[in-house]
Amino acid sequence: MLIELSQVSKIYNQGRANEVRALTGIDLTVEQGSMVCLKGPSGSGKSTLLAIIGCIFPPTSGKAAIAERQLARLPDRFLTLHRRETIGFIFQRFNILPELTVLENITLPLLPLGVAPKERRQRAHELLERFGISHRALFPAGQISGGELQRVAIARALINNQPIILADEPTAHLDTTLSREFMAIMLQLKAAGKTIVIASHDPLVFEHPAIDRTVTIQDGRIHVP
Amino acid sequence: MARHNLEKQLNILEYALSSLWRHRLKSLSVLLVFGAVIFLLASFQMVTQALSDKAKQVLVHTPEITLQKMSAGRQEAIPLAYGDKLAGIFGIRRVVPRIWGYYFDEVRLANYTVMGLEVAEMPEGARLDTTLAKGTMPRPGDDAQGWAVIGYSITNALDLAGRDTFSLFRPDLSLKPFVVRGEFSRDTDILTNDLIVMNLADARDLFAIPAGLVTDLCVYVANPTEIETIAKKISETLPGVRVLTRPQIQKTYQVVFGWRSGFGSICLLSALAAFVILAWDKASGLSPEERREIAILKILGWETSDILAVRFWESVIVSGLACLVGMTAAYIHVVYYAASLFRPVLMGWSVLRPNLHLLPRLAAGDILLILAFTVLPYLAATVIPAWRSATVPADSALGG
Ligand SMILES: Nc1ncnc2c1ncn2[C@@H]1O[C@H](COP(=O)(O)OP(=O)(O)O)[C@@H](O)[C@H]1O
Ligand SMILES: [Mg+2]
Repeated sequence: MLIELSQVSKIYNQGRANEVRALTGIDLTVEQGSMVCLKGPSGSGKSTLLAIIGCIFPPTSGKAAIAERQLARLPDRFLTLHRRETIGFIFQRFNILPELTVLENITLPLLPLGVAPKERRQRAHELLERFGISHRALFPAGQISGGELQRVAIARALINNQPIILADEPTAHLDTTLSREFMAIMLQLKAAGKTIVIASHDPLVFEHPAIDRTVTIQDGRIHVP
Repeated sequence: MARHNLEKQLNILEYALSSLWRHRLKSLSVLLVFGAVIFLLASFQMVTQALSDKAKQVLVHTPEITLQKMSAGRQEAIPLAYGDKLAGIFGIRRVVPRIWGYYFDEVRLANYTVMGLEVAEMPEGARLDTTLAKGTMPRPGDDAQGWAVIGYSITNALDLAGRDTFSLFRPDLSLKPFVVRGEFSRDTDILTNDLIVMNLADARDLFAIPAGLVTDLCVYVANPTEIETIAKKISETLPGVRVLTRPQIQKTYQVVFGWRSGFGSICLLSALAAFVILAWDKASGLSPEERREIAILKILGWETSDILAVRFWESVIVSGLACLVGMTAAYIHVVYYAASLFRPVLMGWSVLRPNLHLLPRLAAGDILLILAFTVLPYLAATVIPAWRSATVPADSALGG
C-alpha cells in the first residue's frame, strides 16, 4: 500500500482555547496506481487529511505510513525531505507565483534538491512539451491563460517524478471545459502509474469514471452510508 | 554530497538573484542608500587616514622647537646671535639655523617653498635624507654649495626631466644657478611636493638676506619630555621671539581636522542608517505576497533554512554591491576630486596646503572596520527578521 492510515486523528492547537478537532479515527488505504476522491462539505477535514497524506504534518494520533515511511514522530525536516521525494501537490487556484516565469515555477521543487540548471530546464521542457505549452516557458506565469496555468500546476507536481499526486479542490475555480480537461489529464497520469488523491465536492470530479473510489468525509470522520 | 550541497547553494543563489531582480525597485533603493552610507564612511575614513599620515610626516620633520622673531605681529629675520644666548639653557642638544621662504616664479606663476639648511649640522633623524627618491643629501662635513634637492612639483614646473640644472632670480634679477642632486620621493609629498632644499648660504644669497640673519632657528632637545620646560626658558631668555613646539603644532593639526569627532559622528550616522534600513525592512517584512511565496516554497519541499539562505544571499549581494560601489566612489572622490565634498570640514587643511594631493592606503583593517559598521548590521537587519518565515506553516498554501 502506498498510503496507509489507521485511526488517524488531527487536533489543531491542542490544549489551547482555540483547539479544533479536525479529524477523528480515519482508516484509509490507497494502493498504487489508483485514484481516490475525498468528498465532503467545506470544513469537513479534506484539506487536513491531504496535509497528513502529503507529509506536511504528522497526525496527532494514529498511524500514517506514506510510501513505506511512518510519519508519527518524524521531525519536521525529515517530513520535508520525504515530501519532496514522494508528493506532488496541485492546489486550489494552483498557487503559482505570478512574477516568476512558467519555467521557474515548474522547476521550483528542484532547487533545494541541488538539480543543476541544465537538467532542470531539460526536465521542465519535457513536461511543457507533453502538455503543449512549450511556447509559454519564458512567460511570466501571471500572463498566461487559465487552461495553461492549470497545466503548469500539474507539470510542477510531476517535475520530481513523485509517485503520489494530491489535488485540493483543483476544479473549484474552473469552468466545465477546464474541469473536464483536468480530469482527462489525471486519467493519463493514472494510466502512467501515478497514485492520485483528489479532495473535491465537485460532481464533475467525484462522478468521473476515472475515480476508483470516493470516500465521504463528514465532521472529520469517514462517512459510511 | 558536497557536490549536491554546492549545487543547491548555487540554485538558491540563482533564486536570490532573480528575486532581487523581481523586486528591483526596492533592491535598487536599498543599494543606493546603503552605497551612499558606505561612500560617506569610506571617504571620511580615507581622508582622515591620508591626512593623519601626512600630518605624521610633517611632524617627523618638524624640529622640536622652532624660534621666529616677531615684530609688530609679523615675522622677521632672526639674528644668528640669538642662538648663542641659549647656550646657558640645559637640555638643548643643538640649535640649527634655517632660512625658510617662498619663491614666486613669475614665468610659471607658481610658488615654491625654499628651505636653506646647514644639512651637515642637523641631528640624526631630523634630516630629510630618508625620503629621497633619487640622489643624496650632503653628508656631515660636506659643505658643497650650488646644489638643490627638489620635490616632484618642481621637477614638473621647471621641466627638469632631461637636465639637472636650473636657475632662480635673486631680488636684483640676476640669475643664480643650481644643480639638482636629488629628488624627494612622492610619499612625502605633503612636505616636499613644492620644496627646494639647498645650502643655507645659497638660500641667503638667493633671498639676499644679510649675513648673521636667518628666518628661524631650529632647536633640538636631548629629552623630548622636556620640550615644554625648555620652550618656557627660551621665552624668558628671548622676549619677543615666538617659540613653536612640536606638541603645539601637533595639537593645531588635530584641531584643524577635528577628525576624531567627525569620524565618530559618521559612525553614528551609519549606525542610524542601518537601523533605519532595519526598521523599514521589518515594517515592510512579510507582506501577504511574501507569506504566500514562503508557504508555497515550503510545501514544494523547501526547508526553512533554504528560505533563510535566499534572504542571506540577497543581503550579501546587496551589501557586497553597495560596498563595491561605495568604496570605489569614495576612492575616486578622495584621490581624483581631492575629497571636495569634505572641503568645508577640511577647510583648515586646504588653507595650509592649497594643492593637496591625497593618496589613501587601502588597508585591510580599515575596510574591515567599514564592513563591520555597515554590512554586519545590514545582514543582521535582513536575515534575522527572515526567521519569521519559519512561522509560516506550509499548509497555509492549501485550500481552506
Ligand atoms: N491551521 C488550522 N488551524 C486551526 N484550525 C484549522 C486549521 N486548518 C483547518 N482548521 C479547521 O479544521 C477543520 C477542517 O478544515 P479543513 O481540513 O480545511 O476542511 P475542508 O478542506 O474540508 O474544508 C475546520 O473546522 C477548520 O476550521
Ligand atoms: Mg479544504
